[in-house]
Amino acid sequence: MQQPDETSSKTTRQWSGRAVGAGWQYNFFYCMIRIGGRRLAYLIAYGVVFYYTLFTPSQRAKTKYYLDKKFPGKNSFGRFTDSFRMILNLAKILIDRAVTGTMGMAGMHVTLHGREALLNLLDEKKGVILMMSHVGCWQVALSALNFLNVPVNLLMHQEEGDVDRHYFEQHGLSSMFKIIDPNSYLGGTLDMLAALKNNEVLSVMGDRVIQGSSNIIHVPFLGKEVPFHYSPFKIASASGSPIVVLFSYKTSPDSYELKVARIIRVPKNLGRSGKVFSPYVEQYVHALESYTDEHPYQFLNFYDMWGTKT
Amino acid sequence: MTMNERLKKIIVEDLFLEDIEPEEIDDEEALFGDDGLGLDSLDAVELVVQVQKHFGVEIKNMDEGRVAFGSINTLAAFIEERQ
Repeated sequence: MQQPDETSSKTTRQWSGRAVGAGWQYNFFYCMIRIGGRRLAYLIAYGVVFYYTLFTPSQRAKTKYYLDKKFPGKNSFGRFTDSFRMILNLAKILIDRAVTGTMGMAGMHVTLHGREALLNLLDEKKGVILMMSHVGCWQVALSALNFLNVPVNLLMHQEEGDVDRHYFEQHGLSSMFKIIDPNSYLGGTLDMLAALKNNEVLSVMGDRVIQGSSNIIHVPFLGKEVPFHYSPFKIASASGSPIVVLFSYKTSPDSYELKVARIIRVPKNLGRSGKVFSPYVEQYVHALESYTDEHPYQFLNFYDMWGTKT
Repeated sequence: MTMNERLKKIIVEDLFLEDIEPEEIDDEEALFGDDGLGLDSLDAVELVVQVQKHFGVEIKNMDEGRVAFGSINTLAAFIEERQ
């Protein structure tokens, strides 16, 4: 899932929704869940993840980019256990989202910190830009926002093979959300603006960019600069809509918590340059860094964010 | 000031374009894309907001955007039809 950019269709994607694991592995776990429930799938995940972490250095290497920044100087054993924890968390979260997709939220407890703040923001009638990240389980987070009683618009690529799209189609959730394709005319920005004018929720992912895309600024994240889109911040400036940074994290086998980590207000008439949005992008990035302090193994970007050349 | 002149002034001033004067924009010039004025998707967001602010006309979705955002002439025609 990406930000609006009319040039993005011409670019090469550095990351993929299948950054760890293959499509058949996801389907295997869907099958395990149907047969034995979530606990059986968890049990199998421990073995599978241990095998892959131990015997496939290429999978382990995908965690290295982040772990090197987050926990520099760890020895080989420490790095192995960290990789195992990261990939295991990903496996559990994939299982959880498959469960919620097939069986709904029954049996899954979700606590939202900031419910009143969200409702108050919607009362302003300017819509809400919900800035999510690839941490915890953002699908569970979205599923728990029904109480808002407004449509949720997801900015999502319509490419075959994307695991995020696969999830929504596999479980029929596409009917619950409106999908806006950033590869459509003018990056889908007109549909995004229309959604906000209708006081709807526009959900965007703040932590990934496509290689070669424009509307990027570089902001330090975990000590080294990373490219981030400033498009959502520009849209917020034009529309007057608040940006809500929402994170999810798994707290036990059957519970998640959601937290409104920050509300970002972007003033109008800031200008055209990306630099003017830097202070607001930094607010998001600081929140993301705080998240990695609190939940270091639920950060699920398995690619080199820091080496992305745009 | 004509509608076209107003639109050119809005585009240059409210979209913070640099190195171009309103009178340098051709009425038939493409507003978006590599050819023509070269506005991008984020400029489109600002332009929608400014058109509503100055003329009270909404460009509601991509389909209307395709019609309106061809050039200064098409944008002026779109606005005049809806005023």
